[in-house]
Amino acid sequence: MGRFAAILISGLVLLAQLADAATSLAPTAKLSPVVSNVIDFARDIQPIFAERCYSCHGAEKQKSGLRLDRKTNALAGGDSGKILQPHKSAESLLIKYVSGLDPEKIMPPKGERLTTNQVALLRAWIDGGAVWPDNVELGTRNPERLQHWSFQAPQRTPPPKVKAARWVRNPIDAFVLAKLESEDIKPSPEADRVTLIRRLSLDLLGLPPSPEQVQSFLKDKRPDAYERLVDALLSSPHFGERWGRHWLDLARYADSEGYQIDRARPFAYVYRNWVINAINRDLPFDQFTIEQLAGDLLPNATVEQKIAVGFHRNTLMNHESGVDREEFVCKAKVDRVSTTGTVWLGLTVGCAECHTHKYDPITQREFYQLYAFFNNVEEVDIPAVQPTELEKYTREKKSFDEETARLKTALEAYSKESLRTNQSKWEQGFSVPATRWTVLQPTNVASAEGTVLKTQSDHSVRAVGRIRSSDTYTIEVATKLKGITGFRLEVLPVSGKGAARNRPRNFVLSEFNVQEPGTVGQFRPILLQNASADFSPKEFPISGAIDGLATSGWSITPNAEQRHVAVFESRAGVDCSTGGKLVFTLAQKSGIQSTIGHFRISATTSPQPLRADLLPDSVIQIFETTPEKRTKKQIEELAKYYREEVDPVSKNLTQQLEKLSRRAPAYQEARAQIFTEGTNALKTFVHVRGDFMRHGDEVQPGTLAALHPFKPRSEKPDRLDLARWLVEPTNPLTSRVTVNHAWQHLFGRGLVATPGDFGMRGEPPSHLELLNWLAMEFRQRGWSRKALIKLIVTSATYRQVSHIREDLNERDPVNILLARQNRFRLESEIIRDVYLAAGGKLNAVVGGPSFRPPMPETFKALGGAGAFEWVDSEGSEIYRRGLYVFTQRTVPYPVSMTFDAASSSETCTRRERSTTPLQALTLMNNLVFVECAQGLGQRMQKEKSGRVRLKIEHGFELCFARKPSGEELARLEKLYDEELRLTRSHPEFAEKIIGTGEVDHSEVAETAALVAVGQILMNLDEFITRE
Amino acid sequence: MDIDPNEIVQLTRRDFLATAASGIGGLAFASLLQADGLLAAEARTLPAPPLAVKAPHFAPKAKQCIFIYMEGGTSQVDLFDPKPKLIELNGQKMPESMTKNVRFAFLQKDSAVLMGSPHKFQRYGKCGTEMSSMLPHLGSCADDIALVRSMHTEAFNHHPGELMMYTGVQTLGRPSVGAWINYALGSPSQNLPGYVVLTAGRVPSGGNTMFGSGFLPSTYQGVLFRNQGEPVQDLANPPGMTAEMRHYGLDALRDLNKMRQKVVGDPEIASRIAAYELAARMQVSAPELTDLSRESKETLEAYGVDREAGGLKTQRGGGPEAFKTFSRNCLLARRMVERGVRFVNIHHASWDHHNDLDSDLLFNCRVTDQPVGALLKDLKQRGLLDTTLVVWSSEFGRTPLGENRPGVKIVTGRDHHPHAFSIWMAGGGVKGGQVIGETDELGWNVAKDPMHVNDFHATILHLFGLDHTRLTYRFQGRDFRLTDVAGKVAPKVFS
Repeated sequence: MGRFAAILISGLVLLAQLADAATSLAPTAKLSPVVSNVIDFARDIQPIFAERCYSCHGAEKQKSGLRLDRKTNALAGGDSGKILQPHKSAESLLIKYVSGLDPEKIMPPKGERLTTNQVALLRAWIDGGAVWPDNVELGTRNPERLQHWSFQAPQRTPPPKVKAARWVRNPIDAFVLAKLESEDIKPSPEADRVTLIRRLSLDLLGLPPSPEQVQSFLKDKRPDAYERLVDALLSSPHFGERWGRHWLDLARYADSEGYQIDRARPFAYVYRNWVINAINRDLPFDQFTIEQLAGDLLPNATVEQKIAVGFHRNTLMNHESGVDREEFVCKAKVDRVSTTGTVWLGLTVGCAECHTHKYDPITQREFYQLYAFFNNVEEVDIPAVQPTELEKYTREKKSFDEETARLKTALEAYSKESLRTNQSKWEQGFSVPATRWTVLQPTNVASAEGTVLKTQSDHSVRAVGRIRSSDTYTIEVATKLKGITGFRLEVLPVSGKGAARNRPRNFVLSEFNVQEPGTVGQFRPILLQNASADFSPKEFPISGAIDGLATSGWSITPNAEQRHVAVFESRAGVDCSTGGKLVFTLAQKSGIQSTIGHFRISATTSPQPLRADLLPDSVIQIFETTPEKRTKKQIEELAKYYREEVDPVSKNLTQQLEKLSRRAPAYQEARAQIFTEGTNALKTFVHVRGDFMRHGDEVQPGTLAALHPFKPRSEKPDRLDLARWLVEPTNPLTSRVTVNHAWQHLFGRGLVATPGDFGMRGEPPSHLELLNWLAMEFRQRGWSRKALIKLIVTSATYRQVSHIREDLNERDPVNILLARQNRFRLESEIIRDVYLAAGGKLNAVVGGPSFRPPMPETFKALGGAGAFEWVDSEGSEIYRRGLYVFTQRTVPYPVSMTFDAASSSETCTRRERSTTPLQALTLMNNLVFVECAQGLGQRMQKEKSGRVRLKIEHGFELCFARKPSGEELARLEKLYDEELRLTRSHPEFAEKIIGTGEVDHSEVAETAALVAVGQILMNLDEFITRE
Repeated sequence: MDIDPNEIVQLTRRDFLATAASGIGGLAFASLLQADGLLAAEARTLPAPPLAVKAPHFAPKAKQCIFIYMEGGTSQVDLFDPKPKLIELNGQKMPESMTKNVRFAFLQKDSAVLMGSPHKFQRYGKCGTEMSSMLPHLGSCADDIALVRSMHTEAFNHHPGELMMYTGVQTLGRPSVGAWINYALGSPSQNLPGYVVLTAGRVPSGGNTMFGSGFLPSTYQGVLFRNQGEPVQDLANPPGMTAEMRHYGLDALRDLNKMRQKVVGDPEIASRIAAYELAARMQVSAPELTDLSRESKETLEAYGVDREAGGLKTQRGGGPEAFKTFSRNCLLARRMVERGVRFVNIHHASWDHHNDLDSDLLFNCRVTDQPVGALLKDLKQRGLLDTTLVVWSSEFGRTPLGENRPGVKIVTGRDHHPHAFSIWMAGGGVKGGQVIGETDELGWNVAKDPMHVNDFHATILHLFGLDHTRLTYRFQGRDFRLTDVAGKVAPKVFS
C-alpha cells in the first residue's frame, strides 16, 4: 500500500509540476490541495526541509529559534510558537508561511517559493499526524542522502499478482497492471495492427512502414506475427541508425570543434559508424561501455575497440587565436567527467566541479578523483579504414574510369572519322566578326576592401587574398586609342571553377563605370549604353550593371563555371590620345556573394552596334591570317577551338569529360579520433572553485564513495577500472539508468522522468519495482539492448492505444500510471526521414560521412568568421537520413534547431518537444520538405491509376499506414477539387508546383493538385507524430 | 505612421483573441484566455501557448528590449572612459604588479607600453557625461543614458566572451538572454516571433548558437530577420503555390487535424493548429514589418537609412554597406518594438581593433552613432522609451596598453581587456544622465561599483520585473539560470 501511495504521489507531483510550469511565475495565493494521506517522512518531507529550510533552521543556524533537522526541536516550534499542528495543516504556521498566505512572512524568504506539490506534501504529512519516525532524526550532512532509493542496489521483486491476468503478456504488464488495479483503472485496449506497425517502425527504425509491409503484417495470421515483426525490425540495419542517434545525443556528437573557429572534424563519423555497427550487432552494453571509455586500454585492443574511445573525443576545442589552450583542454576533461556521470550514473556529477554537490553525496574532491582518470589522456588520431568507404570509393572509381574511357574512345573515334571534315566546312562558312578588340593594359589596380589585385602577363587581373562579400575594384589603364566605341569585360574561370572567388557561390557586378581624365586633374564619366552579355539571367541582367543602382547587377549563375563576356557601348566616341588613360570601376555590392576573381578589360573602335561574343580574339587573328601563313601553334589552337567550342558533338564530349574529371572520386583514408594514456603522468589537483589555474589538494583516481566499492586492478587505477566499475553488478545505477533511457524512447517519458538525474533532486520513479526488475533482467539477459527492447515492445503495456482518456484527465493527465501508450512528436531527424520516405526520396545508405544539406545563404553567412565553410552536398547525398546531417556546432542546420535537436555541445538525455509557428513555416515552405511533398504527389499520380479517390487513399497510406476515414477522404477530395480548379486555370503555377521529377505532362494540373494535397497530408499533426 | 504603438499591440492581441474565441485553435488558447480572466478555469490541463504573455515576479519597468551588441571588444579608453593619466604616461611601462598573473591574447607583457587615447572627449547633455567626440548623436541622448564604466568579465577570448554576454556562461549551447526573457514573459506580439535578431556588417563569430534557445524549447530561439528580401527563412509559399491555393490547403489542414483530435483527444493537436495559424499570420506581418515605405522622409533621414560611407574604410568586414544595413536595423528595431516583439537583438561586428584602431574606431562610430542616437530619440518621441530597455554592450574592452604583437613593428591597436570595460543602458526604467562605476587612473581595473556580466543580466531581468534567482529551468537535473550561480542587481541603474 505504501508503495502505491508513493507512486500516486509521484504522479500527482508531476501533475502539479506541469501546472507549475505554466504558472510558476504568477503568485499562487490559494492553498494547494492535499495530495494524499500516506506520506513517508524520510522520502517526502525531509528532503524539502533539507533543501529549503536547513540553511537557516538547521544544525548551524536557528533563525527565529526554529530548528527543523531535529524532531524534538521541530515539534516544539520557534519564537512564534508551535509551527506544526498535527492533523490541522490549514492551521499550521508552517503551511501559512510556505504557501504565502501571509505576505509579510513568506518562507523561504530567498530563492524560489516552494512548489505547489511541495506544499501539498507538507499538508498531507501534517494532516496525517505529522509522523516523524525516530530513526530518521538526522542532524548531519550525509547519511540520509545515502539512503536515497537510487543508491540502493536494485532488488528483484517477483511480478505482483493481478486480477486481470489475461491482459498480462510479460512481467512488465504485471507491475503496471497491479498499480492500475489498485487505482481501479483499466488499461487501454491494444492498438490496431496498423498503428502497431507504424509505432514499431518509427520507434525501432525511425522510418514509416511501406504499404506492402503493412499489408503483409495484416495478412500474417500466425500467433507470433507481432514477435516476428519485432525480430525483423530489430535485425534491420536502420535499427542501429535509430538507436545510434539516441546514443549520439548522450555522446554530444558533432562534426566540428565548436567555438569561434569551429573547424570541421571530417572523420567524426568514424565514431558514429562504430556506434551504428555496435548497436546493430547488439554489442552487450557492458562491453559497449568498456570499449567507449577504455577501449584503448584493453589487452590487444582492435582498431574497432580503439575507435570506440571516440566517445570522449566529441568534446569541444577552441582554436580562436590568442586562447589559452590549457583552459580548453581542462574544460574538455571536465566535460568528460560530467558526461560520464550523467550518461552512466544518471547523476549530476558536473555540479561538483566548483563545490561539493548541494544535494547528492558527491564531493568536489571526488569530482577531481574522476577527473584524474581523464587527466593523462593524449588525443591522437589513428588510421581507421572504413571498409564501406573504401568499397564505395573502389566502386565509384571503377565507374569513373569506365565512363572516362568511354567518353575518350568516343571522342577519339569522332575525331578520326568526321572532325577534320566538319572543321573545314565550318572554316569555309565562317564570317569574321566586324568588331576588333584591343586588350587594355592595367597600370594601376586597387581594391576598396583590401583584396589583393595582381596584373597578369596577358593583362588580365587576378584577385587574391581574403574573400570579401562586397568590394569595388578600380583599374587604371594606359591607352592612346582614338574613337573608342565601347568596352568589353571578360570574366575568366580560375582553374576551371568559374570567375567568382568563393566557388561555388557567385559574384554580382553592381556597377561598371569608365572615366576619362578631364580638365585640371578631374575625371569625368563616359556614358555607357546597350550593355549586352553572352549570358544575362533574368534576375541579374547585364543592364543592371549600368543603371546607376547598387541594388541591381550582373551575375553568371547558374553558368558560373565558364568564361563570360559583357560589352558596353559608349554613347560618344572616346579619344584617349591626349589623356592617355582610362579608369574603370567594378562595384560589387551584394554583401552576400563573393567578388570577381579574374577578369580582363578591352576596348574597341569598331562601329556600333557592339554585341557580346565569346569568340576569342586569337581566333579572329587566325582567321585574318591566310591559311598558308598560319603557324603550327595557330593551327593547333584553331583546331582546339573548333573541337571544344564549336563542333556540337566533340564539344559535348569534351564538356562531359571535363565535368566528369571534376567529379573524380577522391579517397582519403579515414582517421579515428581517439585517445591513449599519456606517458608523462600528470598530477591531478582539485581546481579551487572550478578555476583551472588555482590548484588545491592533489588527488588520485577514484570513484564515488556513496556508491559500491571500487576495486581497481592495480594500485594505479585507470580508465579501464573506471569503466568496469560502472558496469559491475553491484553498481546500483548504470543498469537502471540505461533501461530508463530505453523506456523513455519507447514511451516518450522515462520511468524516471529525469533521465539525467537519479539523485535527490530528480523525479522519483513512477514504478520502482518495474525499474528494478528491468534493470536486473537487462543484466541477466547479457546486457543485450535488443533483448531489452524486445521485452518492452512485446508487453501489453507498450501495445495499448495512445488515445487520451477523458476518464483519466483529472487523475492522471500525463499518463504516469501508463493506462495508455503516449502520443508524441517525432524528433527533428526522424521528421526529415518520414518526409523523405513517404516522398519516395530517401537515400537509405547506412553509415559513412556526414553530408551538408543545402543551407540558405543567410545562415551560411553566420559562420563566416571561423573556418566554417558550408558547401552544399549534391545529388542523392542530400536525401540521406537526418542523423547524417553535418553537425556544425556554431551554425547548426536551422531545421534541426527548429525541431529541438540535441545541442551537441553538452550531453543531452532528453529532448524538448516544442510546437511553434516556425516549424509550420519550415514544413510548409522549406525546400526539402516541399520536394518531398512533390514526390508524394507524383507517387500518388504514378503508383495508382484510376480514380482520384484511390490516388488520395494511396498517399494517405504512404503517410499514415492506415486508411483514411470516410470523412477524411471526403475532405481531401474536396481539397483536391479546389486545388485542381486553380491548377487548371494557372498552368504556369502548376508546372512550378510539381517541381522537377519525371512527370507526365498530359496531367500537369492533376499532379499539381495531388502535390498540394500531399503537402497537406505531410503537414498534418499525425504525420510527424508517433501514436 | 501615426499609429499609437500601444494600440498596435492591443489591436493585434484583440484580433488574436477574437480568432481564438471563434473556435480556431480555441482549445490551445484556453489557458491564455484563462490568464486574462476571460474564461472559467475549466481547461487547466491544456498546454498554454508558449509565447502567451505571463506575469513577471513583480511590477516591471521595462517591457521590451533592444539589445545592441557590438562584437569584438569596444575600446572603453577611447570612447567612454577618459583617462588623462594614461595620456600622461603614454609610452611608459606598466607596473609589473598590475599585469602579474594576467593573460593576454597577443600582447607581450615584457615590452608593452601604455597608450593614451589620441581621441577627444567632451561633456554631453545636462548631466555632462564625458564621451568621445566621435559619438555626437549618442552624446545628444546622454541625459537618457546610464553609462557603466565598471563592467568586468572572466572571458578574454571572443567566443567565450560573447557567450558570456549573451547567455551568462562560457558554455556553447545555452539559452540567450532574449530566450530567457521570452521564456519568462512570453511576447505581446502574436504575429511575430518574440525574439528577433538583426545583423549588419560582419557576421557574429559565434554563429547562430549565440541567439539560440539552448535547452529551452525552440519557441524561444532568436529568429534571424534579413533586412532585405524575404524577411524570414521559409516565409514565402513554395514556387507556384498561390495564396488562394494555400488558403484551401490550410482550411483542409485545420479540418483534418480536428478530425484526428476528435479520435485521439490530444490537446497537442490544438497547439499545432494554432501554430499553423500563427505562421500564416506571420506571412503577412513580417513583410509588412520590413517594408519601410510608409516611414516619413524625416525618419529615414534621421536614421540615415540611405547614408553612404563617405569614403571611410575599414579593415574589418562589414564594408561600406554597413552604414545602410545598420541604420535599417535600428529603424526595424523600433518597428518591431511597436509591434510588440519582446526582444530585438542588433548584432554588429567588428570592434576587434588589434591594429588600425584609430581609423576603424572612426568607421564604426560613424556607422553606429547616428542610427543609435536616432533610435533613442525616436523611441522617446513615441513614448516607447519608458518601457523599452536599450542596451549597448560588447564582450570586453581593450587594453590601456598598446598591442605589441610579435612580428608587428608599429603599435596601432589594443588587445582584449576583460578586467574593466564600458557599456550603457537607456530607457525601460533606467535612470539616465548618470555614470556608474569607476576604473583606476589607467583604466586597467575597476575601482568602484564593479558590475560583473552576471550582475548586468540580473539587473536587466530586474528591470523586467524578474528575480534572476527565481527564473530557472530544470535541465539535466539542475536548475539553470541566466546568471548561473552569481549575479547581483545593481540598483543604481534604476534609482
